[in-house]
Amino acid sequence: MLKKFWKFVSSMKFAITLLVLLALACAAGSFLTQHQSYEWYASRYSERTAAVIYALGLDDVYHSLWFLILTAALCCNLLFCNLLRIRPLIRKTKEFSDPQTLRSSPAAHAEITQRPQAVFEALHFPKPKEIEQNTEKALFSKRNGIGIWGAWICHFGILLLILGFALGQTTGVEYAVYGVAGQTKPIADTGYLLTIDDFRIGLNEDDTVSQYTASLTVSDGKNGEAQSAQVSVNDPASLFGYQFYQNSTGWAADVSIRKSGALLQQETLCAGESLAVRDLPSLALCFNAFYPDFVMIEGKGPSTASGKLLNPAYLYSLYYGDELIGMNALLSGEVITVDDYEIRFSNPQNYTVIQIKRDRFTPLALLGGLITMIGLILAFYLPPKRLLAIPDPSGYSLIGQSLKGGLLFSEQLSAAVKEVSGQSDP
Amino acid sequence: MLYAENILFTAVMLIYFAAMIFFFVFVAVKKDLIAKIGVLLLCAGLLLHTAALVCRGIGAGRLPMTNQYEFAASFAWGLCLVSLVFILKFKFPMLGVFAAPVIFLVIGYAAMQSREVRALMPALQSRWLGFHVATAIISYGAFGVSFVISLIFLLRERMKDQGFFDLHTPKREKLDLISYRSVCLGLLFLTFTIVTGAIWAQRAWGSYWSWDPKETWSLVTWLVYAVYLHLRIRRGWRGKSAAIFAVAGFVCVIFTYIGVNTLLPGIHSYA
Repeated sequence: MLKKFWKFVSSMKFAITLLVLLALACAAGSFLTQHQSYEWYASRYSERTAAVIYALGLDDVYHSLWFLILTAALCCNLLFCNLLRIRPLIRKTKEFSDPQTLRSSPAAHAEITQRPQAVFEALHFPKPKEIEQNTEKALFSKRNGIGIWGAWICHFGILLLILGFALGQTTGVEYAVYGVAGQTKPIADTGYLLTIDDFRIGLNEDDTVSQYTASLTVSDGKNGEAQSAQVSVNDPASLFGYQFYQNSTGWAADVSIRKSGALLQQETLCAGESLAVRDLPSLALCFNAFYPDFVMIEGKGPSTASGKLLNPAYLYSLYYGDELIGMNALLSGEVITVDDYEIRFSNPQNYTVIQIKRDRFTPLALLGGLITMIGLILAFYLPPKRLLAIPDPSGYSLIGQSLKGGLLFSEQLSAAVKEVSGQSDP
Repeated sequence: MLYAENILFTAVMLIYFAAMIFFFVFVAVKKDLIAKIGVLLLCAGLLLHTAALVCRGIGAGRLPMTNQYEFAASFAWGLCLVSLVFILKFKFPMLGVFAAPVIFLVIGYAAMQSREVRALMPALQSRWLGFHVATAIISYGAFGVSFVISLIFLLRERMKDQGFFDLHTPKREKLDLISYRSVCLGLLFLTFTIVTGAIWAQRAWGSYWSWDPKETWSLVTWLVYAVYLHLRIRRGWRGKSAAIFAVAGFVCVIFTYIGVNTLLPGIHSYA
């Protein structure tokens, strides 16, 4: 029973089934919008469909239990298949080097009266060795023996790739810190502090963005040790063992709240953030969006005509408790007044989102990818070939074999014999 | 330079169209000379197409592989290149009869896209862009050739008594082998595409795999062709079954290329 199970798990039939299921799962995950709430699916489709989506984990296909089981099963299949194939492949490699086995294998045949070495040369074989063959001296050569291991190496690479990815997903950490130049924020619970020294957006002549660049300083909260670097898109930096990426950007603005004319509080808010009034926490301001060149488009609502700060406007919502008491787009210089409180927006500026990651297994996944590529090259483009020239009364009998593309090799052998024999193609 | 590219691109379209007509006439009048002219036109088209891409590259000041127009034009170039390699290597001009319309369709699709040259967005400013897109072009081109050869194989199956068709196409076994080789080339380069894309994504977004629709469909295509290869070994799928599978596989390639961009936008939506 166990032997049967072992055989099935390592079988190619099982591998094909898994590959088909994984392809279907991946396709399903790409069509169905992922990471949405039950209510979202219910409103988009129906209650019943939403229930099915949630029951099957289709709202997050690539992290669902069944998808992980399929991937784990593929890893087991690759592992067991490769383990079981080691001995047969070693045997095959030995047999490949043994000219005696050529006679019993499906092979290409040809006859030549003289100069068999020239055929070896025409087919790019290394210089043939003389071997004893039934008391006569035959010639034998082989090439691309490593190609026998191509598929094995490819499977090994895929296994490493999946392993590296899985370990990275489970042990890696990822944080995001956002802020404007001059701000210092903690990096989650790592004990490190991130200071955004500077953030610049480079523009092309046509006003499109050429690059986002942030200057960062990371300091150790315990001993004060600090490291600085500059990051831009496609050019991350490594500080204290973490990778820092320039991820995205958005608009921020200074918000000042005055009570009876006196400054009560002043903070920098990024679009999407909220702020509660210090001495009246039930009054809260939400900075919804920012329009640098504000225009109101009929039927579309507020928008921006360009990325330049020509007519800045701040879209806000004001809450008292749970109640929405106001929502509007505030132009520069305008004030929101609620009883004794005056709220103003000023100094619009870009904030940066810095992504911070540590994944020690990325090199393993990369190595897996490289090994997979090498395996495929060996499997597809280094077909193991061998050729034996045995003397016979009319000259030499040639027996050749290619473990892949035998038909083409047979044609190549015939063409090489014709070329060497000086015959012309019909 | 961009003006020269415009002229060259129009010329290339006309030449590919002419090549397609010559290949159709070859089937109608059954004269080998006509097929040779068709092959020569494809060669000329490829040369001018290369010149057009070079002009585009110089004019834009970067590799011409960053938007729908440039990728479609490069895809047609890759398809033409791989087709010519197989036509010349296997002395197989009949391949041109089926490849030329596909090349013309792809270049026609390119012509419908905006040719405006825009500055590269920051995420595209990477030395990996060239490797990633160039390998994708070869991969798609190879899968395209495998699709065309499989169509020829299936047609040959249906036209068993066609003397002319038999005379100008390799034997069934060889057609099957050429299609298989083409799939191998495509799969190898698709692996290069996925790996170089992953390295690039790691530098640009800090994540080498994000289940973006384009990534996911590249993986689906990879899995489909991996199934094709395993079925050939496990079940001895050769000939008709393999040809049907290769045609279905190319549907995945086309969906990955066009379908994903139009139906499933993600971080590759500029591609």
